[in-house]
This record gives sequence, structure tokens and C-alpha cells, in this order.
Amino acid sequence: MTVLVALPFLLPLLGAAVTLLISRWPRVQRAASLLTLAAVTANAGLLLAETADGTVISSQAGGWPAPLGITLVADPLSALLVLVSSVVLLIVLLYAIGQDVGGLSRGNPDVFHPVYLVLTAGVGLSFVAGDLFNLFVGFEVTLTASYALITQAPTRERTRASMIYTVVSLISSILFLTGIALVYAATGTVNMADIADRLATVPGDLRNVLGLFFLVVFGIKAAVVPMHFWLPDSYPIAITRISAIFAALLTKVAVYAIIRTQTLLFSRDDITDVLLVFAIVTMLVGILGALVQDDVNRVLSFALVSHIGYMIFGLGLVGVPGGHDDAGVAGLTGVIVYLVHHIVVQATLFLVAGLIRQYVGNTSLRSIRGLASVSPALALFFFLPAMSLAGLPPMSGFVAKLALFQAGLEQGGPLAYAGVAAGVATSVLTLIAIFRIWVRGFWGTPSQAIVAAQSALSSGTGRFGIRWMTATTGLMVATGIAVALLAGPLTEIGTVAARELISGEAYRTAVMSDSVVAP
Amino acid sequence: MLPALIALHVAVAVVLPPLAVRLGPRVFLVAAVPLLATAGWALLQLPGILDGRPATASVPWAPELGLVLDFRLDALALTMVALISGIGSLIFVYAAWYFSASERALGRLAAMMVLFSASMLGVVVTDNLLALYVFWELTTVCSFVLIGHSDHRENSRRAAIQALITTAGFGLLMLIGFLLLGQAAGTYRISELVADPPTGPLVPLAVVLVLAGAFAKSAQVPLHYWLPAAMVAPTPVSAYLHAATMVKGGVYLVARLAPGFADTGPWLPLVLSFGLATMVVGAWRAMRQDDGKLLLAYGTVSQLGFLTVLAGAGTPISGIAVVAMLLAHGFFKSTLFLAVGVIDHQVGTRTMSRLSGVGRRMPVLATAAAVAAGSMAGLPPLLGFVAKEADFEVYLPGHHPALSVAGSSAVLLVLALGSVLTFGYSARLWWGSFTTKAEVAERRYPSAGPAFLAPVVLLAAACLLPGLAPSLVDPLAQAHAATMPHAAAPDYHLALWHGFSLPLLLSVAVTAAGLVLFANRERFYRLQSAAPRWPDAEVAYHLFVHAVYSTALGVTRRLQTGSLPLYLTVILGTLLVVPGGWFVWSLASSGLHVPMSGGDWRLWDTPVQLVLALVVGVSAIAAVREERRFPALLLLGATGFGMCGIFVVHGAPDLALTLILVETLTMIILIFVLRRLPARFASGARRVGWPRRLTAVVCALAGIFVAGVLAASTYARSLPPASVGYWEEAEHAGSANLVNLILADFRAMDTIGEITVLVTAAVAVASLVVANRRTGGENGGDEGNGAAKPVMARNEPVIGREGHETSTGGGHGSG
Repeated sequence: MTVLVALPFLLPLLGAAVTLLISRWPRVQRAASLLTLAAVTANAGLLLAETADGTVISSQAGGWPAPLGITLVADPLSALLVLVSSVVLLIVLLYAIGQDVGGLSRGNPDVFHPVYLVLTAGVGLSFVAGDLFNLFVGFEVTLTASYALITQAPTRERTRASMIYTVVSLISSILFLTGIALVYAATGTVNMADIADRLATVPGDLRNVLGLFFLVVFGIKAAVVPMHFWLPDSYPIAITRISAIFAALLTKVAVYAIIRTQTLLFSRDDITDVLLVFAIVTMLVGILGALVQDDVNRVLSFALVSHIGYMIFGLGLVGVPGGHDDAGVAGLTGVIVYLVHHIVVQATLFLVAGLIRQYVGNTSLRSIRGLASVSPALALFFFLPAMSLAGLPPMSGFVAKLALFQAGLEQGGPLAYAGVAAGVATSVLTLIAIFRIWVRGFWGTPSQAIVAAQSALSSGTGRFGIRWMTATTGLMVATGIAVALLAGPLTEIGTVAARELISGEAYRTAVMSDSVVAP
Repeated sequence: MLPALIALHVAVAVVLPPLAVRLGPRVFLVAAVPLLATAGWALLQLPGILDGRPATASVPWAPELGLVLDFRLDALALTMVALISGIGSLIFVYAAWYFSASERALGRLAAMMVLFSASMLGVVVTDNLLALYVFWELTTVCSFVLIGHSDHRENSRRAAIQALITTAGFGLLMLIGFLLLGQAAGTYRISELVADPPTGPLVPLAVVLVLAGAFAKSAQVPLHYWLPAAMVAPTPVSAYLHAATMVKGGVYLVARLAPGFADTGPWLPLVLSFGLATMVVGAWRAMRQDDGKLLLAYGTVSQLGFLTVLAGAGTPISGIAVVAMLLAHGFFKSTLFLAVGVIDHQVGTRTMSRLSGVGRRMPVLATAAAVAAGSMAGLPPLLGFVAKEADFEVYLPGHHPALSVAGSSAVLLVLALGSVLTFGYSARLWWGSFTTKAEVAERRYPSAGPAFLAPVVLLAAACLLPGLAPSLVDPLAQAHAATMPHAAAPDYHLALWHGFSLPLLLSVAVTAAGLVLFANRERFYRLQSAAPRWPDAEVAYHLFVHAVYSTALGVTRRLQTGSLPLYLTVILGTLLVVPGGWFVWSLASSGLHVPMSGGDWRLWDTPVQLVLALVVGVSAIAAVREERRFPALLLLGATGFGMCGIFVVHGAPDLALTLILVETLTMIILIFVLRRLPARFASGARRVGWPRRLTAVVCALAGIFVAGVLAASTYARSLPPASVGYWEEAEHAGSANLVNLILADFRAMDTIGEITVLVTAAVAVASLVVANRRTGGENGGDEGNGAAKPVMARNEPVIGREGHETSTGGGHGSG
């Protein structure tokens, strides 16, 4: 059973090696790539089944006991995220394959598959890493793969945007490394469970400084305001083929890292006010940015920044001094539900943006018009996730926001109320921003160019490609609906995970003495 | 059964678009099936409900959050179901003849209407506040799509988004109100909340928020602007959503909660002031309209205000009045909407000043409309009259426990005033639409077919029959009044004749005044034109939207400058302000201790460290200041070799060797790259003046901060580091080379990761080079760009390796 824990990293790595070697046979390569991700998904399902009740499984790489070796850990949160991200990665892979087969992409497929699987491995490793330095390695693997992916099909503008992305990521990595050094200096270990134990002996203020340091480190990658500027300047331009993955997963890996470090390592401290302030500012500044963009991708990127704020908000409800512990659990549950929801919905919307680009040639709100009459399916596939992003019921976004608002109101306190108010305002503004795309882009009479593009796409190989891409987008929409339908089990797992995160007992025991700890 | 019925709606909605291709507008007959099924089922439940036994069901969704779809069909819900499914199915039949086969997106239209019907059904039969919100917002979304049905028209799009933002925005406030109520009471079940209303400091706030949502949905002044604008939707949509059902959602909610919350501080003042203002303003504006449909829209606004006043009273008599009035309004308003729709459809206009002789050409329609208009005006023996008698009864002095005699009289007076205006616009509508006017030329048009007229006639009959026989409605109204807690059931029954009572007197007075008003209507219109325009909240809406956009533009333009150096400065600045600020504060407040001197603190182990630090520091600063690329690169190299020296001093020669190799390799690669770049950095690429100084200060402070935390951390450590364990394990492993052991054994997993990083970077660079060769630089643009990427890609593994060594080296050194 403990072998399941290592597979989210090892399986895709193996797949990457294989697909690199067989890049001469594109069909075989595609099949191998799909097979790998299917296996990763299946493994993630098993992992979640094992941990859904709160069980924590750890595996010591090389058999060296913690803290000497490297520990991989799966708890409900990491298993859930591994599952959701592998499902999203699988669907996006299908989408990209359709684009390749349909001849609708400019990228280089033989490199794409191995690098994509490396990205998968990096994401997987980040979720199961039980060691701070290993988490850094997971981040680096993910980032290198992302650098490789965004430099495909370069143009001058894209190069500039990739430059912003890369430089900011490097700064964040350097700070991450510095943080690890500081933590090692204070505790003499890099194993997270061990750090958690040892930080208890460190003065509270130093713990807070370190906690805030890591908040900044991961805040850069998660695009928390004011460390977010790079994201809207790089995502919409730099990334073409798999922007969905960037938007959906990479920032969420950082959010996961924030959750893990702030609960396991630095919890029970009084920096939650700082989190709440960051959350409020992030929500508002992000969504105000989204309102004034005239490009679909840029609207979505700013909305992405804004909605990171919701997750930080929920986290900020944990352990407010004098607050209710139940509210903390509720807040963290909200964050977990929000993470799952947002990964899927953001991926869906970026896939839709990719389809719009196929029809219109770009995603500027000036040039798209009347898409609903050109492709009703595309319209439906935009409308449903748009509702979800705006938090309208019965979509998953509503469930997630409900959980967060409940937690905020239950917590009470001026900052929690301010957070709820900001959340409500952000919801309304998100509604305005996202339905502006609908009203301007999907309603109205389609322009000549769009009609022409549609008839061009409805013949030849492009037809297969566009149908395939639309169908996979539909699959992603269905995934989003499934998240909403499964809100019951999801909140249950979220609550289990939240309790486990807040106590940290099972995690520490699983890593330090026992490989499997049942609740 | 209720969940199954809702599911039936959804299932039918899914098959409608493909069916519409074949059936054309007759697809609406299929669409009516789930509505009829619901109406039939509800009718079967009637006996039980009259006995006070509501039908219930429950579907859990996310019970952890209190999100359970509890269903409960009681008398009030049944009244609403009569509107939603009963009137709804007639409107659907009407729609089957209203639309032409060439109507755009018929399938989508029919499907959305059925989905709307399901959502509205959900609103009224759910017994859970959160589920109510779910269905509530679903009706909002359906309404958005339906208002925007003619999306090629600018005004449709604008009206749709306006309605969406207004109702969904205030809906969110309502949700917060629900959450506050639920948390105060510990349950989201409406029946439990009403039976045992929570108390607490937040309950009044919750009530205000809930009412805000209800008022927006029910188009109360000043939030009413979206409703007349929504009239751009096709007439069946307007009749169904914006007259008979959706806009009653707010009234329904007020009626639902009133028995429990009418005593709560802000409830009655809010309900009365907004409701009465809405009634008068709506009726006043209805008098001004020339477009029949718009007149009805403002009339609806007015009636919704009236209904809110009734529903908000929360007394048992108001329960009776509300049921009667909901039904009466549903019947007469949909009759009139459909009648105006028939005129529009046949004649081609619904502008009253251009209609003449319609009554002569379509006598059946004119009769049906006359019955409905009479009911709206409150004339006997119609249901509208019966209902209005009951309505006056609610606010008779002494009938409402919370109102004084003067208060009740004032309310009654305003209700009477509103009723006079209602009489006025009812008469105006019928007169303007159906009479023959000498000054207007008659048009030629086909008369409407019987199937098209049948729903109108049936609805008109529904205005008449319960008026003649109030006992058809009375049991339902009594059943609803009986469910209201905290008060004894009233001895009041719906009837045409209650004897000579104050309500009758009021009705007579209203009718007389109404007749006078209608007789002097020209003078009244002149008065209206002379009166100043009512302040319109639509202006506020536009101001709000404008303010949001200009704020957004201002904030975003200032923040999102596109300058990478600025972004990096802000990031480091955040580092300095947040953890840095905390660090300084805790030093200042003595929460944290950093030893500056003493026995456990020494500046260096060997003076060589100082020399090396100087080499690294000076060459780093010089590298930044250097204007030429080659010297800058060499200085960068010097910092790297300085690091190697530090490794040597710490007793890790193999690490130093690795780093020397990496540094050398990097230098060689970069020199190759630099060959293709200009000798100097572009002048615009570097910052000058104060931004440059700021960068220097921020970087220096960041360095000082990290050094300070490092000192504090090292000082704070009390436990031996993990690396001590490596020494012991190394002997078991049989190797003396600790670095090798760490890289290849203890932490081999990291090494796998780093190798992956390296290989990925190599593959990516190779593919770029290949791609560049293949396309001859077409991809890369100019030379500078083509070269910049490999640098980026290659730099990365270098830093990755460096990072790795630094960390393990650190562990080694401190051990």
C-alpha cells in the first residue's frame, strides 16, 4: 500500500522517459502518454480510497528512516489533489492530442509528451512530498517543465512574457531555498513532520517570521497580491497549448504548499490576521483587474488571481486567536472544496479560450462576437463554468463559496466579516466580469470572419480536431458538474482532511514512527 | 415525488432543442407536459394539505454544509404551484401558437422556459433556506438567458445583464442573511425557523439582508428598474416570468418568513415603506405608458409592492389575503399579458395610440381582457374584488398588532390611493387597446385562431369563477392561515359580501375615485408631464457600474505597469514589510533575541571567510553596476568562484569541485551566447535615478534581513541537526564520503528530481535549436530573442544544482 504514495512521481517520470525514447512513432507515443496518465489517475483513485477516512500513509524513500531519508506522505488532502490534478491533466492531454491530430497546433509534439509527463511528475511530487527540500525539488521539476512548455512556438511577444514568468519563478525559487536554509538553521532538519515537532522549541516570534517568509515564497507562485503582477502579464500571452494546466494547477500547487506549511509547520500562531488581509486585498485587486481587460485570457488570469484570495481567506480562518476551532475546520474545508472546484473550472475556461482562439484567431473581446450562434456547444461549455466561477448555484463554485462564507460568519471577528464582505463583492464583480465575456463574445451577430473560420473548420482535418477539442472540453465541463454533484462526499473528505491538517497528529506519527496511521 | 417532478422538467428540457427542429413552435406543447404533470400531482395533494398535512421529501446534497434539498408542499407552496404549473402550462400552450417557425433558437427558448419552471417550482416547494437560494439563483440565470433571447439586439443584451447583476447581486446579500439566520438558529429548515425564530444581535441584520434580496427579485422601488427593461423578452416569457411567477419569488419569501419575523425590529418598517412606495410609484408610472406591455410591467411593479405590504404583515388574515391576491394577480396579469401579446402578434403593434377597433375585430379577446382588467381594478364579482376586500381587512385599524390606529389608517390610505391609480391604468389599458378611435386608422390583420385564444379565455375564466364562488379559493387560504403560528385562526372568509363594512366602503370609494380619474385622464396626464420625474434607481445602477469600472481601471493601470524590475521590487518589498516587519517588531519588543556579541558569537572561523565574503560581495555589486556584458559576466563568475572558496573552507572540496565545473561550464556557454549580443546592455534596459537607488536599497535590506533571521535561527536552535545521523549511518553504509552518500543514497530522490530538471532543460533547448533550424528563425523573430531563450533554459538547471549543493552543504557544514 505504501508504494501507492511514490507512484504519482515515479509513474509519470517513467512515462516521460519512455515517450522520449519512442518519439519517432507519434501514435505509440500518444498512446503511451495517455496510458501513463490513466495509470496515474487510477493510482490516485486508489490513494484517495485508502486515505479518505483520514488515514495517513507515508513511505520512506530508500528505506532510510525519517528524518535521514526523504519521506513521501499521502493524507486526504494530498490524495484528493493528486486525483483532481491527474484527471485534469488527462483531459488536457486529450485536448492537446486532438489539437495535434487535427493539425491545429504549432507546437512540437515529440517534445511535448515527455515534458508534459515531467510536469505531471513534478505536480505529483509536490503533493506527496513530506520533506521541505523535496518539495522544492518537486517545484523545480514542475517549473522546468513549464519553462520548456512555454518556449514552444515562440514569438517575440511570447518570449518577453516567458521572461517575466521565468525570472519571477526563479526569484521565488531562490527565496524558497533561502527559507529552507533558515528553517534548517532553526531546527536542524528539512523533514516537515520533524520540523513541526522541533519548531515547538523555537521562540514564537521566530516561528512567525519563518511562517511569513514562506507565505511570501509561495505567495509569489500562487500570485497573491501584491506578488501577482507577473501572472496576468505572462499567462495570457506566453502560453498557448496547455494554458489550462498552468492556470489550473501551477498556482494551486503553491496554494497547497501554503496550506501545508501554514498548518503543519507554522500553525497555532497569530499570523492569521496577515493571511486575512492578504486574502481581502487579493480578492479585490484581482477582480478589479479582471473587469477592465479586453481579452478573454486576461480576464481569466485576473479572475484567477482574485480567486486565490478566497483560498487564502479560508486558511486565515484557522486558528484565529480566541476563535472557534469548528470555524477553523469549516474554513479549511471550504479551502479544500474551493481548490478542487477552482482547478477544474479554471482549466475548463482556459480550454474554452483555446477553442475561441481556434475560431477567431485570438481571444480579444473586440473581435469575438456571436459565438453562441456559431457553436452552441462551445457556448454551453462556457456558460456552465462561467456560472461556477461566479459562484452561482448549483455549480461547484457555489458550494465552495457557501462553505467559505459559512466559516467566515461562524468565525466572527472584524477581519473575518470584512473577508466575507470582500468575498461577496468579489462574487458580484466576478459575475460582471465573466458575463461581460458572455454578453460581448457569445451574444450578438457573428462577424464575417468568425463565420468564415467556422466553415473552414467544419471541413478537412481541422474538423476532426475541433470536434475532438470540443468534446474534451465537454468532458471537463462534465467533471466540473461531477464536482458539484459530489459536493456531499467532497465536503466530507474536506472536513476529514481539515481536521487532520489542524491537529497534524496523524501526519507526524505516520512520518516519524509508523508508516500507516488510521484515524 | 417532488424531486422526480423537477427531474422530469430537466429531462424534458434536454430533449426539447432537438425536438424543436422537427416540431417548430408546437414544441411548447411537449414542454407543457411536465408542468401539467406537476399541476395534476399537486391537485392530488390538495386534500392532505387542506387538512394540514404537507407533502414532504428530502434529498441530501452536502449535508456537512446544511445543504439539503428538503421539500415541503403546503398551502402557500400549493398556491404558488398553481401559478407556476397551472398558469405556466396555459402560457406554454399559448406560446405554441405565438411563435412562428422562423423564431430564432426556439429549442433553447423552450428548454430554458421549462428549466425556469423547474427552478421556480424548487423555490416554492423547498423547506431549506440554502436550497431556496439555489433554486432562486437558477431562476435568475434562466431569466437572464430568456431576457437576452433576442441577443442580436443591443437593448436585449443590456436588459439581461442589468437584471442579472441586480438580482444576483442582491441575492448574494440574501444568502448572507440566510447564513446568519441559519447560524443563529442552528438550522436552515424554513418551517423550523418560522416556528421558533432565532434571536441574537445579528438577526435584525439578517432580516435586512434577506429583505434586500427579496425586494430586488420582486422589483421593489428603487430596484424596480430591471423589470420594465426586461420586457424586451418575448411576450410568453414576460407573462410567465415577469408577471406570474418569478417576480413573485420575493413576495413568496416575505410571506413565507413573515409569520416568524414580522416582529423583528426592521421588518415591518421596511416592508411597509418599500411596499407602499412601490405600489404608488409603479401605478403612477403605469398611467404614463403608451406601450401596452410596458404599462403592464409597471402595473406589475405596483402590484408587487401591494403584495409585499400584504405578505409582510405576518398576521393570519394577511395569510388569507396573500393567497387570494397571489392567485388573483397571477390570473388577471397573465390574461392581460397574453391578450396584449395576441394584439401584438396579430396587429403588429401594441402601442395603444396606434390601435383602433381591435375590440370590434376580436370581441372574444376584448371580453376576456375586460374581465381581467376588471379583476385588476378590483370590481365585483371578480376574484380581484374578493382579494382586495381581504387586503383592506389586513390593515383595518386594530387588526395589525404592531400598528397604531394612525399607522393603520395611513397604510390603508396609501393602499386606497394605489388602488385608485390601479383602477386608472386598468381602464386606460383596456380603453386604449380595444376601443375604436376616430383619429387612428384601422389596420388590416388576420383574426386570432381559437387555439391561440383558448389560454386567454381560460385564464379570464379563472378571474371570474373564484370571484363568483370564493369557496373555491377560501379553503386553501384558510389552510395557509392555519399554518401560521403565534396567533389564533381568524374568523374571516373570502366572500363577495361581508355586509356593510369599512373594506366595502373603501372599495366603493376607490371605484368612484377611479372613475373620476379616468374621466379626467387627459388632465391627469398633463399633471404627470408637469410633475418632476421620479428619481430613478436605474441611474444609480449605471453610476454603480461606472464607478466599478473607473475604480477598476484606475487601480489596475497604476498597479499593472508591465515593468519586470518594478514587479521584483514589489516582491522583495513585500518580503521586507511582512516577515521583515514582524522580525524588526519582535526584535524591538524583545520577543526575539539576536546576540550581537558574547561567548557564543564569533565573526568568523578563519579570516579567509572574510576575504571570500568580500570577493563575493564586491564582485556582485560590481556586476550589477557594469555597463558592458563581458565584464559583467566575468564578475558574475567571480561571485561563483568565491562561493567555491567558501565550500573549501567548510571542508567540502567535492562540492567546491562540482560548483567550479558548473560555473566554468556556465561561463563558457554564456560567452558563446554573448558573442551574438551587443557588447553593452541596452540603455533603456537598466533603471536610472531613484528607481535604481530604490532597487539597491531594497536588495541590501533583503540581504540584511535574511542574514538577521539566519543569525536568530541559528541562535534559537537547541536540538542537534539531522545531519548528525548521517555520520552514524555512513559507517553502516560503508562509505566515508558523506556528500556522495547523501546525493546517491540518503537523498537520492532529490537527485532523481534534479536530473529530471537537467534532462528536461536539455531536451527543451535541443528542440528549440532543432525548431529554429527547421524554420530558419521564423519562430524566433530577431536574433536577440532566439538567443535569449536557451540562456533562460540553461540557467535554470545551474541554479537547481547550485541550490542542491548549497543545502546539503549547509547541513554538512553545520554538522
